[in-house]
Amino acid sequence: MSTQEVHAILPLLVLSGGIVLLLLQVSFWRGHLAASTTALITLVAAILACFQVAGRLTSGVDSVAVTGLLLIDHTALFFCLLLLLAAVAVAILGYNYLKHRCHQNQQFSSYPEEFYILLLLVMLGATTLVCANHFASFFLALELMSLALYPLLGFAVTGDLSPQRDQMYSLESSVKYLLLSALSTALGLFGIALIYGASGALDFSGIATAMAELPPGPSLLLTGLTLLLIAVAFKLSLVPFHIWTPDVYQGAPTPVTALIATVGKGAVVALLLRFFTQTDLFAVPALSTLLAITAAASMLVGNLLALLQNNIKRLLAYSSIAHIGYLIVAFMIGNSAFGSEAVIYYLVAYVITTLGAFAVVGLIADSAMAQAPGGARPINDSACDPFQQAYYRGLLWRSPWLACCLAAMLLSLAGIPLTIGFIGKFYIFAAGVQGQMWLLLAAVVIGSALGLFYYLRLLLTMVQRDPEPTPAAGSGVQIATSGQLLLVSLTAALLLFGVFPQILINWINAL
Amino acid sequence: MTLLAIIAILFVGGVLAWLSERLFNHGSRWITLLCLMLATALLGRYWGDFTSATHGSSGGLWWDSLQLTWIPRFGISFFLAVDGLGFLMMALTLLMGLFGLIVTWNEIKFRRGFFYFNYLWILAGVIGVFSAMDLFLFFFFWEVMLIPMLFLIAVWGYEQRTYAAIKFFIFTQASSLLMLMAIVALVYLHYSNSGQLTFNYRELLAAQIAPTTAYWLMLGFFIAFAVKLPAVPLHTWLPDAHTQAPTAGSILLAAILLKTGAYGLLRFTLPLFPEASVAFAPVAMSIGAVSVIYGAVLAFAQQDMKRLVAYSSVSHMGFVLLGLYALNTIAIQGAVMQMIAHGFSTAALFALVGALQHRLHTRDMAKLGGLWTSLPKLSAIALFFAVASLGLPGLGNFIAEFLVLIGSFGSSQWITVVAAIGLVGAALYALLMMQRAFFGKPRNGNADTADNDSVMDLNPRETIALLSLAIALVILGLRPQPVFDVAAPSVAAVIGQIDTAKQAHGTEKTTPTVYTSARGGWPDSNPTGGESP
Repeated sequence: MSTQEVHAILPLLVLSGGIVLLLLQVSFWRGHLAASTTALITLVAAILACFQVAGRLTSGVDSVAVTGLLLIDHTALFFCLLLLLAAVAVAILGYNYLKHRCHQNQQFSSYPEEFYILLLLVMLGATTLVCANHFASFFLALELMSLALYPLLGFAVTGDLSPQRDQMYSLESSVKYLLLSALSTALGLFGIALIYGASGALDFSGIATAMAELPPGPSLLLTGLTLLLIAVAFKLSLVPFHIWTPDVYQGAPTPVTALIATVGKGAVVALLLRFFTQTDLFAVPALSTLLAITAAASMLVGNLLALLQNNIKRLLAYSSIAHIGYLIVAFMIGNSAFGSEAVIYYLVAYVITTLGAFAVVGLIADSAMAQAPGGARPINDSACDPFQQAYYRGLLWRSPWLACCLAAMLLSLAGIPLTIGFIGKFYIFAAGVQGQMWLLLAAVVIGSALGLFYYLRLLLTMVQRDPEPTPAAGSGVQIATSGQLLLVSLTAALLLFGVFPQILINWINAL
Repeated sequence: MTLLAIIAILFVGGVLAWLSERLFNHGSRWITLLCLMLATALLGRYWGDFTSATHGSSGGLWWDSLQLTWIPRFGISFFLAVDGLGFLMMALTLLMGLFGLIVTWNEIKFRRGFFYFNYLWILAGVIGVFSAMDLFLFFFFWEVMLIPMLFLIAVWGYEQRTYAAIKFFIFTQASSLLMLMAIVALVYLHYSNSGQLTFNYRELLAAQIAPTTAYWLMLGFFIAFAVKLPAVPLHTWLPDAHTQAPTAGSILLAAILLKTGAYGLLRFTLPLFPEASVAFAPVAMSIGAVSVIYGAVLAFAQQDMKRLVAYSSVSHMGFVLLGLYALNTIAIQGAVMQMIAHGFSTAALFALVGALQHRLHTRDMAKLGGLWTSLPKLSAIALFFAVASLGLPGLGNFIAEFLVLIGSFGSSQWITVVAAIGLVGAALYALLMMQRAFFGKPRNGNADTADNDSVMDLNPRETIALLSLAIALVILGLRPQPVFDVAAPSVAAVIGQIDTAKQAHGTEKTTPTVYTSARGGWPDSNPTGGESP
């Protein structure tokens, strides 16, 4: 490995160093605030490292291949940056979440510091995945991300102050993800083996050359690719591999839900984009048909099932299924600069919006927790459960700014102008028109119309003019300053890129 | 810059109104009034163009325009412009905004700041719709006006407000997604053929598109506008939304928002797809005639007075659709006049129903009756607007409907005959409404009529607002020519496009336009967008 190669993976090195440092720090000096600070510093350092590497790349070569396993280029760095920024938000949310749920006294067996170590591990996996150029690194990164996510999903179990019911849900979420993820990994691994058997290569460019020589038609390679696609579709929770999504999203601690919805999916989309581009799989009709079917099914099923939800986290889970379906439409138009641009723009919109929506939900739940520690609330009273729609009744009048943030997020999810979601939707339409995929576009229109219904229902619940007095939320919702700052910056980004999309487009085009 | 200033004033004023309500009570509506006056005054700067247009000396293409680059990646510019048609529509918007504000001055009892925030944002969005000459920008404003309207219905509406609000929104939004799809496809095809990526209205007019494709794209636009218009069978959101909305909301909906649909048809659908429009005209005219009859019949059957007025809108807007697709100057001029006259008369009728509801707490005509004795002023004004609505000669509505019928008779006699029957229906429902609500004996079932003295008649504020509308209608009825003169260049441009299409259709059956996707997709990075006059 040359110095240049080592320098190119600086963000990964920073993250690894941060993990080791945090482990050492926690073993000698435990403290929630200190651990979160170290994690944040590590993340910020990794972000700066991204910029530094990107600056070095522009001066000379376009991309750096590191030992054949990783390939660092501008697109990969951009994805790293996006995911790391999302991780910063998750760390802030996590701090607010754990503050109310873990004993500050160290005699109890709750370890909030663990959260940050696991978060950094997930990020290490995600950033490696984004840079992967070889099935070995791909698999390693995917597994690292998944393995760190299992305990994170079940994190409420270790926090003793969480209500019994939340702990049960959290455990359920963790076990469900573990089992199904293991199954999908096994399928993916089998697929990789088949691909290797057919092409004799594990690195992406090797597969591409091998594919060019293979005869077209059904083959071992195609079977392998299909299996691999199934594994990826599971991670992206595309229909029909979406069954785990609502339960896992609902049960997990809200910051972790935000993490799995943004980082977990964003990294996989980035990988998929690179893999398909390098091996030019868009040209394989069987795969694109498969993708088209899952995309249409995701849009329709996701939006239809979201209609039936009263729990906000479940609603957002189904809506995220639908949104990945939209994204696949842009993905489908294949190996062109415009296709990548559309996918990246939509992904940015999706990450910002989803993060914002979960942030609001999580912070509201935290404030309810702070008012009633230990979860002293009746089980079936939906107006007291901070994850039920009924809890949001009249929120605009109780805490206007918070409600405005949530409203912006919902409008962005629904694709209404002034928000980044609209520009994302516009890209989807542009991509669909270019690819002349009229049926898929029809599915987008139907899906969006269905989607409007549940976003609006929530929005109108918030502006309900005669709020019934809810005991848990008598006055306004109190939110920590860090949470407020996070929400304001997310909303600002959402509006900025929604009104002046050219800024972001220029960045993406410069990749 | 004036156009930008008007829109900015309305947007900023909305935010100020919301914030000010926290500081001092009733501050928001004064700010709203101030903003509207200011915006109207700014619009008044085009009065010079207006008078010169009435003297037949039309200047350039636009009276005023402003073009800034916005998203060069897609050739999207921030392009505002005003011409005769746009000026008429904007003037209607601001005047109806003022009217709605004044007539419901004391009606909003709670969350006043948020109400006026939404009120001003609706107006800002509508002004944007009437002045945007970039298709992306147009769509942007088209959507911006929806959300505040949704809130207006959902928060301050009557019994079934949530249902009505969601229905309204889903109808308009789903149809406008079709329009977005059509816009993107139109731009993409234009780019494939000419190599110029632009959303500019003037440049897209020259787009060459294969007939079949053009027909589909035209349908995308038509459905979005027909929902807004509304045309049968896409009208079902309207009775609910109008009935459940608060009075000011109903006034905005009926007087302004419906007109955006008609404006869109006239400004975009007809000139952008002339061949397809010619081919589609018989269908659209039939839809218009059916709307006229259907609206009249259903208005006749209503118990709820507000619902009656709402269905009468369906009927009247049917005339607009009929006139636009008759595709000749007289009928289109009639349609433009109908847009304005219907705006005035229906806004007044909704204000009157609102005033009745405010005083008697019911809109059910079975419970009303004999109101003339207790509310003479209100009843007299109601009579005036009811006969205006049925098309009494001497008032604006008559001129409009007469012109539409004359114009469309040349295009299609039978459809026109059917639509003319609608006038009889209009007389029936309007007079029946008068008879049941205002004449006869006071109903015993109505608790409020027991103590007649406590029911206030119209106060001076309401009287002046309503009377000024009445005077405006009389002026429109007696001297309609200025309106025609001002709208003439815009209408002539549309007719010009249509005529070329008709001739092309007549001379050679196979149009030379070809759809080639020689260019494989959108350009990779910022293209040079086109500038236009």
